[in-house]
Amino acid sequence: MTTAWVYAELAGGVLDGSAAELLTTARTLADEVAAIALGPGATATAADLGAAGAATVYASDDEVFASHSGGPQAFVLGGLIEEHRPSIVLFPGSYEGRDVAGRVQARTGSTLMANAIAVPAIDRARTEIFGGMTVVDVQLQGPEPHLVLVRPRSVTAEPTGGTATIVAVPAEIPEADLGARLVERHEEAATGPKLEEARVIVSGGRGLGGPDAFAMLDALASAIGGAAVGASRAAVDAGWVPYSYQIGQTGKTVKPDVYIAAGISGALQHVVGMKGAKRIVAINKDPEAPILKMADLGVVGDVFEVIPALTEEIRRRSGS
Amino acid sequence: MNVVVCTKHVPNPQGTPTLGPDHLLVRSGVEGALDPGDEYGLELALQLVERHGGEVTAVSMGPDDALAAVQRALAMGAHRGVLVTDDVLRGADALVTARVLAAAIQRQPAELVIAGVESTDGYTGTVPVTVAALLGHPSVTAVRALELEGDALRVERQTESGYDVYACPTPALITVTAGATEPRYPSLKGIMQAKQKPLDRLTAADLGLAPEDLRSSQTVVEVVDAPPPPGGEIVEGDTAVGRIADLLADAGAI
Amino acid sequence: MVLFVRRARPRLDVLRTARPDGRTDEPGVRARREVVQVLGQRKLFQKAVPGVMHATIFWGFLILLPTIAEAMLAVIDPAWTLPYLGHAAWFAFLQDAFAALVAIAVGVAFWIRKVQRPDRFRGSHMREADLILLTILGIVTSLLLWNASRIALGYADHPSAAPVANALSGLFSGGRGTEVAERILVWTHLLLVLGFLTYLPRSKHLHILTAAPNVYLAKNAPSGYLTPLRIDLDAADADVRFGAAVATDLTRKQVLDLYSCTECGRCQEVCPAWATGKPLSPKLLIMGLRDQVVAETSAIVAATPSGTVELQPLVPNAVTDEVVWDCVTCGACVRECPVDIEHVDTIVDLRRNLVMAESRFPPEAGAMLRGVETAEDPWGQPASARTDWARGLDDVHVLEPGDPPPEVLFWVGCAGAFDERAQATTRSIARLLIAAGVEVAILGPRERCTGDPARRMGHEYLFQILAEQNVETLNGAGVTKIVASCAHCFNTLANEYPDYGGDYEVVHHTELLSTLIREGRLAPGAGADGTVTYHDACYLGRHNGRFDAPREVLHGAGAATVEMPRNRERSFCCGAGGARMWMEEGGDARINETRFAEAAATGADTVAVACPYCFVMLDDAAKASGSSVRVADVATLLAASVLPEPAT
Repeated sequence: MTTAWVYAELAGGVLDGSAAELLTTARTLADEVAAIALGPGATATAADLGAAGAATVYASDDEVFASHSGGPQAFVLGGLIEEHRPSIVLFPGSYEGRDVAGRVQARTGSTLMANAIAVPAIDRARTEIFGGMTVVDVQLQGPEPHLVLVRPRSVTAEPTGGTATIVAVPAEIPEADLGARLVERHEEAATGPKLEEARVIVSGGRGLGGPDAFAMLDALASAIGGAAVGASRAAVDAGWVPYSYQIGQTGKTVKPDVYIAAGISGALQHVVGMKGAKRIVAINKDPEAPILKMADLGVVGDVFEVIPALTEEIRRRSGS
Repeated sequence: MNVVVCTKHVPNPQGTPTLGPDHLLVRSGVEGALDPGDEYGLELALQLVERHGGEVTAVSMGPDDALAAVQRALAMGAHRGVLVTDDVLRGADALVTARVLAAAIQRQPAELVIAGVESTDGYTGTVPVTVAALLGHPSVTAVRALELEGDALRVERQTESGYDVYACPTPALITVTAGATEPRYPSLKGIMQAKQKPLDRLTAADLGLAPEDLRSSQTVVEVVDAPPPPGGEIVEGDTAVGRIADLLADAGAI
Repeated sequence: MVLFVRRARPRLDVLRTARPDGRTDEPGVRARREVVQVLGQRKLFQKAVPGVMHATIFWGFLILLPTIAEAMLAVIDPAWTLPYLGHAAWFAFLQDAFAALVAIAVGVAFWIRKVQRPDRFRGSHMREADLILLTILGIVTSLLLWNASRIALGYADHPSAAPVANALSGLFSGGRGTEVAERILVWTHLLLVLGFLTYLPRSKHLHILTAAPNVYLAKNAPSGYLTPLRIDLDAADADVRFGAAVATDLTRKQVLDLYSCTECGRCQEVCPAWATGKPLSPKLLIMGLRDQVVAETSAIVAATPSGTVELQPLVPNAVTDEVVWDCVTCGACVRECPVDIEHVDTIVDLRRNLVMAESRFPPEAGAMLRGVETAEDPWGQPASARTDWARGLDDVHVLEPGDPPPEVLFWVGCAGAFDERAQATTRSIARLLIAAGVEVAILGPRERCTGDPARRMGHEYLFQILAEQNVETLNGAGVTKIVASCAHCFNTLANEYPDYGGDYEVVHHTELLSTLIREGRLAPGAGADGTVTYHDACYLGRHNGRFDAPREVLHGAGAATVEMPRNRERSFCCGAGGARMWMEEGGDARINETRFAEAAATGADTVAVACPYCFVMLDDAAKASGSSVRVADVATLLAASVLPEPAT
């Protein structure tokens, strides 16, 4: 009998959306599907995990999982794996997913595949390489369980409406496996992710006309979530935003998944800073603007209409 | 304090890498460089050692021309270099790489091991924590700042909405984010001095690794060109907003 | 005299211990420059009134030199004087006339300094200058009065030949009092002269001794040429110097430059950085370095190759980092300087040390250096994209290894290949050449950055690597003639590559186009609408003397032209030179916006350029100001009027 496990990520007692997606994939791979939820509020998520497809939920509400990063989770998961021997374990492709899976790999000696966009079989995973230009199918070999990190939102979650059996897991973590301890949390509402790290960047140029228009971009970035706001040199020179926003030849070089350029013409001096983006969207009034030609999706339009409309649309889609 | 920095030589960071007929990354004959992500780690390590004393060792695994990455690290100011190069390691996967690096790192006593969050050619982002687990070190990833406080480290870890602060006992392993600091540009003097610095070349056997430890457990079986990304097209009008939202969804951003 | 020698010795010692420059080639050229600039005072006349004032004092000084000997002889015996000259009426006249003229000139000088108060003197030592002027006045006045007293005592052979002294002689009775007065005056005169001489080595007036040799040792090559620093990483040891870190790293010419500065401020007046509120003033830079060299003189002279510990680093002690990086290397300062101080060369030497030895430079420029290092172009673009501009142009031939040598190689340059604005220029040039029946041969992906931005930034090693690589490629392809579309590529290929074994006939695209028009291979066209003003690129114009060809091309395009106030050699930089294209700019105003405002003020509808840097800078300025004035390369303007519309 094959078993597929899903590592369910919790943040502040709330289940991350990746869990449901992973469970949907897991159901296609094995007869038995289980989820592991570790941290305060874990047991309470069992209902949602069951509804998403887990037959069993291994849970612990212990505080130790919230106050330490990676170590305790890997220890517990490693122990469970040794006891129950699943065929495959799916992780979200987040910092936590990587931290836990990477540690578990050292213990189990099994293969780990990252950035998967699909898992066609228990021993097969699919990924995109070279900035998304090439798709590669990889055979997973070696001892089970295969460990696979799956990119968020590469699969749509399909609930089953089932219920899960909860198995309480003891959280007796040896001192040596605790690792680093969380001391403080800082929320920087305005800053969010740094430009160099952001997965999505919304950037404004001369076409925005003034500093106030950047509030529009802030709103879009918030709606997207985890997005950062940048600017071309023209906007910085004009004093609309500080130099830390500048992307380009004399500013920062960024490689986000999506770069949205609003009111930016696309001169080489700016392009060199963002050409590594996986997908480029450009909005410009001028149909001849060079950026429209190099963008994956170029929109000829007024940024003052398109950006707010886009923000609305995103809010609508994410149901907020 | 002594610091070990993991440095990777990546092919063609500016251009487009390619897979060879054996489905492995084409590395030879391609202009390569020290992974820009590793430079941040190197810079943090050099700053730490400048403040607290000690030495920085650059450790790398790769084919012969990966020497360039170690030399760059030495030119920036690292004190010694270690390159593990062996034909048997060609095509090594994340686990093998982690075992090799852990074995090489074990030979240098160090309070801290630093790596980049992910390499620009591999993007797995898991090798460093696997190395940490093999070494028995605690780890914190996505660090944007750190300071030594007594025997422990105070690290700031980047999060989606800001940062978290962790107290991490040493010896430890951390991975640093891009933009954590401004890497120094090696001076010519640095490049010249690099030639005098100790550089060890090791094989897998030197590290005491058995053949079964080095077997990769992943094989690429099929390579296809990805479907062209939705676009390279220009739109206007009412459908535009929907198209942008579709693209964002497609990219997993919303 | 003894005092003079004692005080001058340290100055000489510093010169003696400084590194030699090897500037002794082509003595004929040097001698001619000496005659024109020193004797003829040519550069001083770049400003009319100060020019006349200074020339008068200078020629007066030369003519009055023999009077020192006369005075010395007369001190011993009032009847004694120089043989021949002392008795010549014409010499008496000359002496008299020039002494008077010098006195008037000093008056003019005071008027300039005290009434007119030009801004170029800001930062100069005005008190010292006043003292020097007063001393000069004292010298000629005492001379005139002494001559007057001599006439009164009957010692002069031709009293009427010296009208001023003759008139003044009326002050003296001729009796015992006059004899005493004559003694006093001759001693006063002699003491003033000798005192002045003694004062010289420690004053800014030292230029009277150093200016002539400084002009002699000036660069014969075009001012855009920089002296190479050969770097061999394997042969060098860790203590080797790159550029100028401390005072002992300066060459003889550089030290002589420092001694020759009179703080006149003509350089400061034309510096684009200073004009836009940045701390860089070429004058203050030279003064700062001079002051440090003077202060450290004994340490410099006593230094051995390894014992330079006591010397302070020149940056930031004499000049700050900011000042060193503010320079656009436009050469306006060098052009204005009457004593041929070469500020730009010294700034680049300071940069060489900062970049290569200390890695101390504006961090944003690091991106450019990394691009040049790994991708061999400043924007880090892949070499395979160097032919993207030629899409759709079938007649562009990419030279493969083994192809027969081309008649002329079109050096596209990095901007011309990757920057979309410059690509338009490249396409225009290619289409024009094709229309004129010229084979368009390019190196394509084998072309590498010429290294100009790296070199102007001070990364001489990176430049060396690129130069050697490019020369190897060019020589391997059998190239003998090159046409370059970028003024910087042009300067580097023409003037600097010969040092690396690359000797080619290099022309700028405007020169080639102008020739083609003249030969009738391109038919002159109907005029473009509106007027055009041409912006002289520094690296084509001032540094290399090419002013006419672009204008001929514009006339060939049938354009009506108007000149900006600052044109040709006096052109005001666009602000991108000296690798500043890749650096952030400070100060009160932007250099490019300042220049664009000047262009727009001519009322022209189009600003014509001949260099992609100028294009980007002026176009950015046009956009920032919301102006409708268009910026375009002369080639594009020519193509628009000569060729039919291209099918896009």
